Amino acid sequence: MSYLGVFLTFARNSLIRDMTFRANFIIELISSMSWMAMNLGFYTLVYRYTQNIAGWDKYEFFVFIATTMFVNSLVQAFFMPNAEELSEMVRTGGLDFALLKPIDTQFLVSLQRVNWSSLGNFLVALMLLAYAVPRIEGYQFSLAAAVLYPLYIVAGVLILYSVMITLAATSIWLGRNQSLYDFWFYITNFSRYPMEIYDGPFGKPLQWAFTFIIPILVVINVPAGIMAKPILADNPYGPWLAVFAVLATIAALAFSRWVFQKALGSYRSASS
Amino acid sequence: MSAIKIRNLQKSYRVYQKKEGLGASLAGLFRREYRTVDAVKGIDLDVEGGEFVAFLGPNGAGKTTTLKLLSGVISPSGGEATVLGHVPWRRENDYRRRFALVMGQKNQLWWDLPAQESFKLHQKIYRIDPADFARTRDELVDLLDIRRLLSQPVRELSLGERMKMELTAALLHSPEVLFLDEPTIGLDVVAQHNIQLFLKHYQKVRGITILLTSHYMKDIAALCKRVVVIARGEIVYDGSLAGIVDKFSGHKVLTVQFGGERMPGNLSRYGEVLEEVAPKARLRVDRGEIAKVLSAVLAEHAVDDVSVEDPPLEEVIAEMFARSSDGPAATDLQPVGM
Repeated sequence: MSYLGVFLTFARNSLIRDMTFRANFIIELISSMSWMAMNLGFYTLVYRYTQNIAGWDKYEFFVFIATTMFVNSLVQAFFMPNAEELSEMVRTGGLDFALLKPIDTQFLVSLQRVNWSSLGNFLVALMLLAYAVPRIEGYQFSLAAAVLYPLYIVAGVLILYSVMITLAATSIWLGRNQSLYDFWFYITNFSRYPMEIYDGPFGKPLQWAFTFIIPILVVINVPAGIMAKPILADNPYGPWLAVFAVLATIAALAFSRWVFQKALGSYRSASS
Repeated sequence: MSAIKIRNLQKSYRVYQKKEGLGASLAGLFRREYRTVDAVKGIDLDVEGGEFVAFLGPNGAGKTTTLKLLSGVISPSGGEATVLGHVPWRRENDYRRRFALVMGQKNQLWWDLPAQESFKLHQKIYRIDPADFARTRDELVDLLDIRRLLSQPVRELSLGERMKMELTAALLHSPEVLFLDEPTIGLDVVAQHNIQLFLKHYQKVRGITILLTSHYMKDIAALCKRVVVIARGEIVYDGSLAGIVDKFSGHKVLTVQFGGERMPGNLSRYGEVLEEVAPKARLRVDRGEIAKVLSAVLAEHAVDDVSVEDPPLEEVIAEMFARSSDGPAATDLQPVGM
């Protein structure tokens, strides 16, 4: 309960700060929303030339894009600014203060800033979802899908968070780690497409590695597959992927926790 | 019972030895030379509850490293320490609720927000009872005279005002032990004095234990009865500020005002001449010789006035630091970069 209180204060303080720099806030909101609009426009173009990409027709794929937007906006709102900040805190010694506080350091470091403007895309995603779902051919509403969808979005956010905080924690060892952080963008790029497209001698190993080693392919694919199709009907792994996604989330969180704690143990602080 | 107990505490860093020039930097990508810097080399120290102790020492002597070890920010390479019965680097929440660290060179308040918002965050993090929080905050804010600045973003405050806010934030949870790392650095004389007065008052009223590092002798003279001098990672002195002079200065300053028409020549036979402006002369005389020299001067010359003094503290300490910082000191430690 007290952790919730601390988090709400973080969120509140972040909002106060965002409102101080109102113009910046609005620009951020507009630029991230127009980036999403451009993405959407691009895929509309692609679907002028084809009916179907790896088993996903246009409106199913729009659901996929909406899911990506949900996950990304949550990650960007809650975790991204903090992971970025961690590398900086290590370099400047600001992590010292986090270590003094009588509260879990990973919690503090992971959630102290909320980037409210990123939640603009969350609303756009809601609209896109409401637009696309009824237009899917032969769509049937299922209560299970409606309940599971948000839960798996949260699971996806937690997996991406785990990858991000693990990479950011390495900067505690290395003093600085900008490149590994870029690496996060490279690999999460793969998660933004239906996993069915990773096929053939080059695609299959990628699909396997990004499902079972670094489980980023389940992040979007599982919730999108649940919402757009009858519970992952077309997925190469079928509904079992949803069971796996739960395990993957727990494993990713546990692993990132372990790495973070290890890293804190060898923190050396910057000189005054 | 001791509030702080330190036994043979050690901290060494492995530092990448960077060579000069681009060629050497590129070579460093493949082969690196490291050197071990012993920042703290086996410190023993006991501090009683309610003491106000100063750490004095040149840059890189190991003062800040010691404070960071006692705050649990870093772990030692060897030795033991307990603060209020806790081992700091275990980072237990029970311990972290009972002490505070203030660093003059770093700020922990949200830069773009008014300090009062950061205070509220502290209340949540330290789980301070709302009534206690309001009372402590009001007391601190009035003592430091910063009430009118509470709603102003921290980035708009002066350095002195910001330090007052930092102190307030650190004391909101009523810590029993306070570590202060150069709290008056960069402040003007008035602001320094205000902070000193506040610390003195607060420590007296609350009876908390404070460990302070500072470069300003005035801070230390105003606040601390006990001074611990650290040089090159070791404690070289532990006692009163005045005692430093006795221990580290081997000489006294003899000032003579001569009577008669002219100054006697060849004063250097008594000791090193520091200043000679007729009719006055200041001489530096070995401590053991002072009685003999003084009687010789009085016997051989007409003297109007005479005084024998200890050399100024600043001078003694500067001299002591100069002596102890010969050779490689652990200055400017930075984490190993990539």
